[in-house]
Amino acid sequence: MSWLFTTAAELLARASEAGLSLPDFLVAREAFYSSTSPEAARAEIARRIRITRQSLEAGLAKPQRSFSGLTDGAAAKLAAADRAAEAPRAVADPFFRLALSYSLAVNEVNACGGKIVAFPTAGSSGVIPGVLWAYRDACRPDLDAESRPFQDAFVLASGIGIVIASRASLAGASGGCQAECGAAAAMAAAGLLGLRGGSAEACLEGAALSLKNCLGLVCDPVAGLVEVPCVKRNAFMAANALTAVTLVEAGVKSAIPFDEVVGAMKAIGDSMPASLRESAGGGLALTPTGLVYKEKIERG
Amino acid sequence: MDERKIGLFDILGPVMIGPSSSHTAGVARIAFLARRILPGRLDRARVSFYGSLARTYKGHGSDKAAIAELLGILPEDERLGFAPELAAREGLDVEIVPVFDAPERYHPNTVVIELVSGDSSLRVRGASVGGGEILLQSINGFEALIDGRLEAILVFHRDEPGVIARVASLLAEAGINIASLASRRRDRGDEALIVAEVDGLIDAALIAALASLPAVRDVVHVPSVKS
Repeated sequence: MSWLFTTAAELLARASEAGLSLPDFLVAREAFYSSTSPEAARAEIARRIRITRQSLEAGLAKPQRSFSGLTDGAAAKLAAADRAAEAPRAVADPFFRLALSYSLAVNEVNACGGKIVAFPTAGSSGVIPGVLWAYRDACRPDLDAESRPFQDAFVLASGIGIVIASRASLAGASGGCQAECGAAAAMAAAGLLGLRGGSAEACLEGAALSLKNCLGLVCDPVAGLVEVPCVKRNAFMAANALTAVTLVEAGVKSAIPFDEVVGAMKAIGDSMPASLRESAGGGLALTPTGLVYKEKIERG
Repeated sequence: MDERKIGLFDILGPVMIGPSSSHTAGVARIAFLARRILPGRLDRARVSFYGSLARTYKGHGSDKAAIAELLGILPEDERLGFAPELAAREGLDVEIVPVFDAPERYHPNTVVIELVSGDSSLRVRGASVGGGEILLQSINGFEALIDGRLEAILVFHRDEPGVIARVASLLAEAGINIASLASRRRDRGDEALIVAEVDGLIDAALIAALASLPAVRDVVHVPSVKS
C-alpha cells in the first residue's frame, strides 16, 4: 500500500484504499515512517496533547509578560472578564469566549519563552488547542481528554497541516501568516468538525472556508518578534475557525474546493514580497510605533 | 538526504520552548545534533548566526537555545531559558557571533557551530528551514545533508575501494534499511565521509563493528531529533 499523498483528495483515497478512518490512516502512516507501533505513536500524540493543556493553563494562571513588553497578559484579562459578573459581554457564548482566552494563553506562553507544542508553528500554536480544549470544556465536559475522539480531532487537524505543508508551506518566511495562523485556523475547523461527528468531506469544507478567508495574510512582526500581531491573531483565528464550522453545519459549502484553495495559497505566498514574509521589513514592523518598539527593544 | 514526506509529528510538534520555531527550536535542534556528533567535554565553543538570526537572535533566545544544547539540555526542557547562567556555572564559555555579511549560498537562517573537545574539533553548518525543521549542511567541510527525521551514521574513513560496500553489508547484516546514502572525499586516497540515514534504531554494537572496519577512522551515531 502507498502512504504518499500531497492533496486532501489523495489523502482520502489512500485512507479508503487502506480501509482505515482518516485518523487511523494518519497514525498508521506515522508509525510506519518512524519504525514504531500505532500504539506508541498514539501515546506520543497523547503526550503532546497534554502539553498543549499545560501551556494554556500556564497562560491563564498568571498574566504573561514578555521580555520585550509587547505581550502583556491579554489571556488573563479575558479570563478575569469571564469571572466578573458585571463585565460587559457583547458576545456571551462561553465556548466562543473560552476559545479566545485559551488561544491567547497558549500563544502568550510561547511569546514568554514557555513550553508549547508548535502546532503547526510556534507563532500559531494557540489556535488549535484553543478551539478544541474550549469546545471540550464548554460543550462536552463529559468527554475524556484522553479518549480516542478527542485525540482524533488533533490528528485530523494534523492531516490538514500535512497537506498544506506538502503543497504550500507552514512557514511565515515562505508564505506569510496565511501559512501559519491561516493554516492553523483551517486545521482547527477540520478538527472541530471531525470531533462533532462531521464527515471527512465536511472537515474539508470547513478547512476550505477558513483558509479562503486568510489568503494573502502577511507576516510583518514588530521588531521581528513572535508577538505583534501574532499573539492576538491567534484569538482572531480561533474565531475564524468557529465561523467556518458554524457555516458548514448550516450546509454552506465552499465554492472553491480545499485543494484548490491550498494551490492559491501557494501562488499568493510565492508572489508575496520578502519584506512581508517574516523579515520585519514592512507592514506593522515599519509603522512609526512599531519602529519605536524595535529601537526600545534593541537598546535593551 | 531522505526524501520522506511530512509526518504527523512534524505538524503536531516539535514540543519546544518559545518563542520561535525557526529561531529558537530550529537552532536548538542544530546544536543538539552538533553536540551528539562531538559528545566529549567541551573546551571551547563558538556559535555564529547568519542572516535573519544575526539580526534577531537576542529577541528569539536563539543564543540561549544553542548554549542549552551544548550543555545537553533537551530542546523541550524549560531550563533552556537559563542556559547562559548554567553554562557560566559549569565554566563553559560560549562565544556568540552575529555575522551580517553571510555568503550568498547560505540559507537566510544559518547557524555555524564550532566545538573543541581535547584533540577533537567539529565545525557544523546547519539551516533552520521553518516550523522547527532543520537541515545540517556541512560537517568539518564535507557536504552532509541530514534533516534529523531519521537516525543517521557518519563514517569518517580513508578513501579506498570497498569501504562503502563493507559499511552497507554490516548494516544489512544488522537488518538496518538504508534510506539515503552519500559519500564525499577531500581527494583521491584522502579523508572521506559516508553519511547514511536509516530506518529504525542503531545500537552500540553496530557502531563498534563499523568502527573496527579497515580504513575507518571514526563512526558517529546521529540520533533523530524527534521530540
